Amino acid sequence: MRFEKEIEILNSKEKVWAFLWDVDRFITCVPGCKEAKTVEAGKSYTAMMVEKVGPFRVEFPMGIEVLESQAMSHIKARASGSDSRVGSRLKVEIDVRMKEEGKKTHLSLGVTVDILGKLATLGHSIIKRKADLVMEEFAQAIKNRLEGVS
Amino acid sequence: MLKRFRLEEPESVKDASDFLARHGESARVYAGGTELLLVMKEGLIQYERLINIKNIAGLDEVKLDDGVIHLGALATHCKLASSTLLQERLPAFVRMEKNVANIRVREVGTLGGNLSFAEPHADPGTVLMVLGAKLVAGKSSSRREIPVEKFFVDAYETCLEADEILTGIRVPLLPSHSAVAYLKFGYLERPSVGVALFLAVDGGGKSIADARIAVGCVGPAPKRIEEAENLLKGKGFEEASRLISKAGEIAGHASQAISDLHGSQDYKEHIVQVLLKRAFHQAYGQCQPGGKGQGGLHG
Repeated sequence: MRFEKEIEILNSKEKVWAFLWDVDRFITCVPGCKEAKTVEAGKSYTAMMVEKVGPFRVEFPMGIEVLESQAMSHIKARASGSDSRVGSRLKVEIDVRMKEEGKKTHLSLGVTVDILGKLATLGHSIIKRKADLVMEEFAQAIKNRLEGVS
Repeated sequence: MLKRFRLEEPESVKDASDFLARHGESARVYAGGTELLLVMKEGLIQYERLINIKNIAGLDEVKLDDGVIHLGALATHCKLASSTLLQERLPAFVRMEKNVANIRVREVGTLGGNLSFAEPHADPGTVLMVLGAKLVAGKSSSRREIPVEKFFVDAYETCLEADEILTGIRVPLLPSHSAVAYLKFGYLERPSVGVALFLAVDGGGKSIADARIAVGCVGPAPKRIEEAENLLKGKGFEEASRLISKAGEIAGHASQAISDLHGSQDYKEHIVQVLLKRAFHQAYGQCQPGGKGQGGLHG
């Protein structure tokens, strides 16, 4: 599943870039993301993703690896993890591109999500809708956080 | 492999509700089990307790009660499909029930279970929506009626409170010169698109006195599309026939269709339009004097 999202933030590129690397603040914008930790700054992180659809609850301990990063321009990362309880695996690839436009910073997100295993039997459409909602909430949260600070 | 759980067998709605209140999210109501046991066997969900409500007397009744058809939540799809009362009063509902899933599911699966599980690719909720049905939810000390439109919150989510149990469905009798059509399409195990239409014509059968449209299976939950209904209400047959494609387009866009393995969003929206057009001509023909009307001849 491929998702794309454009976010316009009324703040400087420097502030947005700094925010993306501030793990504790950043995870507050990612719905369902808990307990993020830095393994090696700028390279490797861990986080727990918890999601619920109706009565179904999943917990994915994720390993996050930064594949590419170019200051003030773009970040490419890959995250993966398994929930052994429900026998499913989650793989996410994220591509973030930044561009300054006057007083605004334009973020382009490209996210590819793959869910393998039993969870996929729940229905592709439901998982896709949940991911859509997560993207929407994330975009709103990051805007609120960065436009609320100077 | 099904993991161990404790089976509670209350004999009243109050006792069942008390169990739910006491055990919270570790317990779940068990009726037919055709959906619940599948996901439990897959290990996608686990409960310490299942509250088997099949021993509660009277919850599977199908009867005419004070001018309203009462469908007990524990009535199986087979029981509903073979009910003489429903065959006479709600033939479109019976046709839908005859085509729910497969014979094994229809034998043990219950209407209440189907609605409470809120699996998005299900037929009954969409049809009940155009029938103007109300769902009856009970708990220890109270009982309330919920219009179907407000029952479904999201995929697999209903507005039932943690200790509430769906006990029945109340369906008003169809008025004279009215009919219901439900058409669905799918090539996978579950339906991909379902469109239900209630149509009532005036005494002379020339114009549309009332219309209700609902679309199911394409999005997270069945949805009533009032904007499309308003396009048809009060119109003569010729004008309504011209507007039905537009109504279908509106219904498709408003249905919250999601691109998935059943088809793209555009494709599903198109199918909604096609099915609504067919349902319109089917229902209109049935509510004419001399047609196989549901409210018209039998109401």
